[in-house]
Amino acid sequence: MSAPGNGASGGAVLLDVRNLSAGYGELAVLNDINLSIRTGEIVAVVGSNAAGKTTLLRALSRVIDCSGSIVFAGQRIESLASDAAFDLGLVQVPEGRQLFDRMSVHDNLLMGAFRRRDRAGVTASMERVYTLFPVLKERRAQWAGSLSGGEQQMCAMARAMVAAPKLLMVDEMSLGLAPAIVDRLLDVLADIRKEGVTVLLVEQDVHSAFQVADRAYVMETGRIVREGPAAELADDPDVKRAYLGV
Amino acid sequence: MNRFGVVAIVVVVLALLATVPWIASPSIIQFGISTLLMAVLAQSWNIIGGYTGYASFGNSVFYGLGSYGVAIAMVQWNLPFGVGLAFGAVLALLFALLIGLPVLRLRGHYFAICTLALAEVMTAIVSNLEIAGRNTGLVLPLLRGDALFYELSLGLLALTTLTVAYIARSRFGFGLIAIRENEEAAAVMGVDTTRYKVAAFAISGFFTSLAGGIHAYWITFLDPVSAFDITLNVKMIIMAVFGGPGSIFGPVVGAFLLSAISEVLSTKISTLASLFFGFVIIVAVVFMPRGLADLGRRFRSVGWRYFAENVRRNRL
Repeated sequence: MSAPGNGASGGAVLLDVRNLSAGYGELAVLNDINLSIRTGEIVAVVGSNAAGKTTLLRALSRVIDCSGSIVFAGQRIESLASDAAFDLGLVQVPEGRQLFDRMSVHDNLLMGAFRRRDRAGVTASMERVYTLFPVLKERRAQWAGSLSGGEQQMCAMARAMVAAPKLLMVDEMSLGLAPAIVDRLLDVLADIRKEGVTVLLVEQDVHSAFQVADRAYVMETGRIVREGPAAELADDPDVKRAYLGV
Repeated sequence: MNRFGVVAIVVVVLALLATVPWIASPSIIQFGISTLLMAVLAQSWNIIGGYTGYASFGNSVFYGLGSYGVAIAMVQWNLPFGVGLAFGAVLALLFALLIGLPVLRLRGHYFAICTLALAEVMTAIVSNLEIAGRNTGLVLPLLRGDALFYELSLGLLALTTLTVAYIARSRFGFGLIAIRENEEAAAVMGVDTTRYKVAAFAISGFFTSLAGGIHAYWITFLDPVSAFDITLNVKMIIMAVFGGPGSIFGPVVGAFLLSAISEVLSTKISTLASLFFGFVIIVAVVFMPRGLADLGRRFRSVGWRYFAENVRRNRL
């Protein structure tokens, strides 16, 4: 396994994936994936289209079946259902945001607390995400569908934060957003880490992923082909040629 | 209006409606029974169609099962009416579980089309069942007591509406609305979508079957074609949508209003009644596609522009 990352790592291993394979019916998409994330890290998984990044997230959040082992917070979860994994704190910000367009921003955020029973804790979480995303507080009564693309992404991330995640898995955060807005969201990821939440960031936009990640994995056609501290990978000539266009 | 005001109004309306059998003529009471039952059907459909967003055309199957539950229990087994109601409700719940699990995997039009076929299938099955009287149907014992049927229907409507009001404020209802708005997102947020949808379908079926059972005993005659009549399903959808799907009182108001309009039209201008009824529906769909409930909410702030906006937004 690679050395601990260069950032705020050094915590215990939160997610440990061994020999993970998964696919859809006969079609094998993921092949023998090994990956681990320590508490407090921001880890990026990068790769081009059809590398299997989203399938990896679906396997981790237990939406599709898989073989191999997934240990999350000391517990084997590879045979759990998705809502059980969710209850353990494995929360996804899905690609395309998947907001409830015709519900208010506030109700969208409350949906994040759908499975939580601690009323006081939910109120505290709501307060925290409104501090984290002041713009959402301004627009709390508006329909989520009327927000701009960047605000919608924030709303999706805030909703996931209300679910009190241990590991936040963000799928294609930068998709279709202006670079300036992506930079803002990257700052938010750093803030989220300060809240004690570990982040797994799945991105096609290698450049922005490497700005914020401690460590990264590079995926190609369902395999992990490179891994290491993000700063090192960013200097790797192969990675540069293939993904950074230099 | 605050919650207390709403509750007070509902209680007063309910009390007024309950006095109808003592003061009104027999024909008005009969109109009342069929209107109240229609309102139960629209309100039941509201749970699966309005709150969950699954436009079910299979609710007439629940209605038919409730009718046949009562008829078979009373005619073939000589059991009391109450047992028949329970039997019909059990049939409806079993049907909701058995059929709901596979069919609720379909979305949008596919779900509607598939449920549309269910009523036809049930008609064919029941027409060949000896115990259900095959094609000729069953004749139930006659009970002369329209007042009783009226109060029973009113009680069922109150119970159904109370249930919807409770659902609307519950975590369960929040989950159903989330499924309606974006099922994938609901699943990501940990809503057990399959269980929620089947539960909504079953609750909807439960109340629909009770209405069917009461209707069967009141009408005293039952045959497969009228029991599983798909136009009844279309009617409940029209009434729920006219009043406001996904609202607590909309479907009830919609059923009352449309029943009254249809009744007046058919007595005043009998031959052209259905033509005028169709006209009312089209006007409603064009000018207030979200129903009376939405009109009531938004008319105060927007005014007459509300209608123009709807026409423009839906490019009609």
